[in-house]
Amino acid sequence: MKPVAVIGLGNPLMGDDGIGWHVAERLAADPRLPDGVEAIQGGTDLLRCAARIEGRRRVIVVDAVRDDAAPGTVSEIGEGEAEERQEHAHHLSAAQAMGLLRMTMPVSFTLLGVSVSQARMEERLSAELAGRMPAILDRVLEELR
Amino acid sequence: MSTIVIEHLARVEGHGGITVELQGDTVGDVRFDVFEGARLLEPLLKGKRYDEVAPIVSRICSICSAAHTLTSLKATEDAFGIRVSPQTDLLRELLLRGESIESHALHIFLLAVPDYLNYPSAIALAADKPAAVLLGLRLKKLGNLMQETIGGRAVHPVNPVVGGFGKTPSLDQLIELRSGLMQASADSDAVIDLMAALPAADFCRSETYYAALRSPNVDSYYSGDEVMVVSAGNRAIVPAADYRSLTNEKAVAHSHAKHSTFRGNPFMVGSLARLTVNPRRLTGKLAVAMKRLKLTLPADNPMDNNKAQALELINDVERSLEIIEQLLREGVKDERAMPAKPRAGTGTAIVEAPRGLLIHCYTYDEEGRIVSADVITPTALNAASMEQHFRRAVEQCPERDEAVIARRLGMIARAYDPCISCSVHLVRKR
Repeated sequence: MKPVAVIGLGNPLMGDDGIGWHVAERLAADPRLPDGVEAIQGGTDLLRCAARIEGRRRVIVVDAVRDDAAPGTVSEIGEGEAEERQEHAHHLSAAQAMGLLRMTMPVSFTLLGVSVSQARMEERLSAELAGRMPAILDRVLEELR
Repeated sequence: MSTIVIEHLARVEGHGGITVELQGDTVGDVRFDVFEGARLLEPLLKGKRYDEVAPIVSRICSICSAAHTLTSLKATEDAFGIRVSPQTDLLRELLLRGESIESHALHIFLLAVPDYLNYPSAIALAADKPAAVLLGLRLKKLGNLMQETIGGRAVHPVNPVVGGFGKTPSLDQLIELRSGLMQASADSDAVIDLMAALPAADFCRSETYYAALRSPNVDSYYSGDEVMVVSAGNRAIVPAADYRSLTNEKAVAHSHAKHSTFRGNPFMVGSLARLTVNPRRLTGKLAVAMKRLKLTLPADNPMDNNKAQALELINDVERSLEIIEQLLREGVKDERAMPAKPRAGTGTAIVEAPRGLLIHCYTYDEEGRIVSADVITPTALNAASMEQHFRRAVEQCPERDEAVIARRLGMIARAYDPCISCSVHLVRKR
């Protein structure tokens, strides 16, 4: 198991919601990805990836975020910065799941949010977000340096 | 007139909310808006080849990806007249039980228990009651491991294919699963202790119709092909191919999901419905647990679905152990999947997903490409029943305090464990 993982969250069937998923796919094939790093497409439930997280030193989670920034903006979301409210009836947000995983394993987590403006049933990213992909990948790779 | 709006049941803006209109003490309109991602997928399936279909539908939902995969495979096999081997049936059931264990553990420990004890989230609960949260995480992890072992991947299984399995688990893998399941079996008293200690949640009493797959044998929820609908004094059977007489979908103006009623009555699907339709397994350990949880069937309180999930969690563990013992005894054969010969026609399958009946119906052309697809999820089937229970709860609430009503309706909604918008997943900043 490589000591570091980048886990991209999101649903590729829901347009820009799938940004994390697409980032992980692109990174896995990117020659710039350092040797000790694995890129994982994680679906929409971070807790499901628990077994693939346990034992690593560091995990960077990439997920779509809804905020006021321009689509494609990548920002680190600190502990306590994401909403803690349990607003989903049925599973936990990435931030909540990270909170629980921190309790059970000594892994250093970083949550990178990619700002998106829409999430609707579509098999591909919006042109706007797809155009920002190179810059998004650069930013994630920078985090790995 | 006052209007109570409960938003953010879902993570899709403007969807999944409950709206209640009150005129003094009189309850006016009660509306529940469900965002139904699965329906939007249907046009996307058009023209897809039969072996591309299951991998696409598995992505409707991370939590129910095994159920969508298996229902999809069964529908395609029904269309092509393929019968899978008994070993395939057993392995598929094990995969489904793994998903159920994961889903129920997540729902009970990380969503329902915080709700009953008035904590805003599982993280807040963990600060005071770490043992409960850790037990939930342990069981969820076991469910994950089962799906990874049988399905080939933790999310979106790849091993199950039309006609059987691409790869079967090794004996060592099954032995590893057995040891996890034995640990979970030893934890089952702790599950019931925790549930039995929760404060009562009695917000609405209402005669309820229940619909679930009727098991041809005591053990399996996977392999049935007819649905039984049970109400206080009546029972009716609906064969899978006639599912439209059960779902009877009607568009309603306020929701993205169509409403289903059976002979004019809303019905509930899920754990409570399954135990009501198939009570034969409720013996021994489960009968004792049921007594401790003060659950009687048929129930008239939708909150009892949480208790039913706890009983199912224990049953899933026991049944999974039985399946593994059988597989270890008989040996796992390295079978090839049954060959698929595409033909024009329609196939229907119904499987019990963690949240209840899941229906896939596909029509194929002679080359094995999808002409039309119909995907009906448990949350959509439950929508009319949820609305009815919301109405009863408001009518039966002695107070007209908005916060009290909102909390009660939120808890009832979550007891149904709805999958309102699994498809979308956004982080929201404070």
